[in-house]
Amino acid sequence: MAAFENELLALLPRLRRFARSLTHDAADADDLCQVAIEKALVAQGSWQVGTRLDSWMYRIMRNAWIDTARSRRRAAETFVAEEAGMAIGAEGNAEARVALGEVDAAMRALPAEQREAVALVLVEGLAYKEAAEILDIPMGTLTSRLVRGRQALMARLGEAA
Amino acid sequence: MTIEPELLMGYADNALDPLTTKRVERAIAADPALAEEVARHRRLKVKLAQAYAPLAEESVPDRLAALLTGTSNIVPMPVRPARPASRFSLPSWQSAAAMAACLVVGVVVGQRVDQGPVAATNHGLYAAGSLARALDDQASGGSGPVRVAVSFRAQDNGFCRVFQSAQADGIACRDPKGWALRRTMPGTAPVASGGGYAQAGSSDAELMAAAQDMMADMPLDAAGEKAAIAKDWQN
Repeated sequence: MAAFENELLALLPRLRRFARSLTHDAADADDLCQVAIEKALVAQGSWQVGTRLDSWMYRIMRNAWIDTARSRRRAAETFVAEEAGMAIGAEGNAEARVALGEVDAAMRALPAEQREAVALVLVEGLAYKEAAEILDIPMGTLTSRLVRGRQALMARLGEAA
Repeated sequence: MTIEPELLMGYADNALDPLTTKRVERAIAADPALAEEVARHRRLKVKLAQAYAPLAEESVPDRLAALLTGTSNIVPMPVRPARPASRFSLPSWQSAAAMAACLVVGVVVGQRVDQGPVAATNHGLYAAGSLARALDDQASGGSGPVRVAVSFRAQDNGFCRVFQSAQADGIACRDPKGWALRRTMPGTAPVASGGGYAQAGSSDAELMAAAQDMMADMPLDAAGEKAAIAKDWQN
């Protein structure tokens, strides 16, 4: 197996988590992973050795999500199914499932532009600058979306002052 | 004093430069409500990280792994061939850093120096030879063919070091395979160790700014660095 595929394989668990924080549905998340991997394999000639493969993949996946989910996103934002959110995440132990359900429902309620900023920084642990580069937005835009997203999450998750 | 919500968030994430950090700290000291807001940001961060962490522990479904391990019928586009006119012609490179990295490799390869300071591997650029040894053992601030400006912990908790040498300046981060070069640019340190005062190169400010962005915390002090060297930069 070539090094590129090897590295991508090592990144897969994180990519699945990122996909899951964007899409909220396990099946949709793995579909998104598949699309992103296929795009990456086709475009691997444009990846510069020595640059970060994870950032490159996050960008591909995020753009694929924007492309494919634009229409569905609108529906998801107007119909926030909290019960459905609680049931998602059939894998793992019960405690993790409940914790994710609650967080997941709160994430689902965020506008896409805030959700992707929160996913990159709080779920994936990227630096602001890395997240801004992946999203192709200025730092000020990133921090503004991130702070609004976080405030909305705090309010929903019972972290209100 | 008013502090923007973005700055409080940045403080909670340890993402501010030292000066701004001080400014926010003064504001927090004067207003307990700001301290509570910082605490809320940190609790949320922990909550989200914990909620999603189990997903990265799950085993990857076969259908996804198969795309990368087995018989996929996707045909990758060929890598763009180098222009025959000049081996150093670099069409449509997207960042100066990538270009600098390539130049470093080009120089090393061009000179046929097998034990050069930079090795191109399948996993990217890694420090080799004298550069790798200096990164392993040398304290920051010393003189010599390779100078290390500062060492720090990156946000992924690994150790990184900013270095200067005749062949390349850059930031190297330690991973299990060695010192991965995250930033490289043409070297500024003098080739001969003639005892002259080491001028800060033009790369200096840019590298330090990049290092600042990568830092999880403050740079290591002398004792912290000594301990890290003694443990071979393992966590």
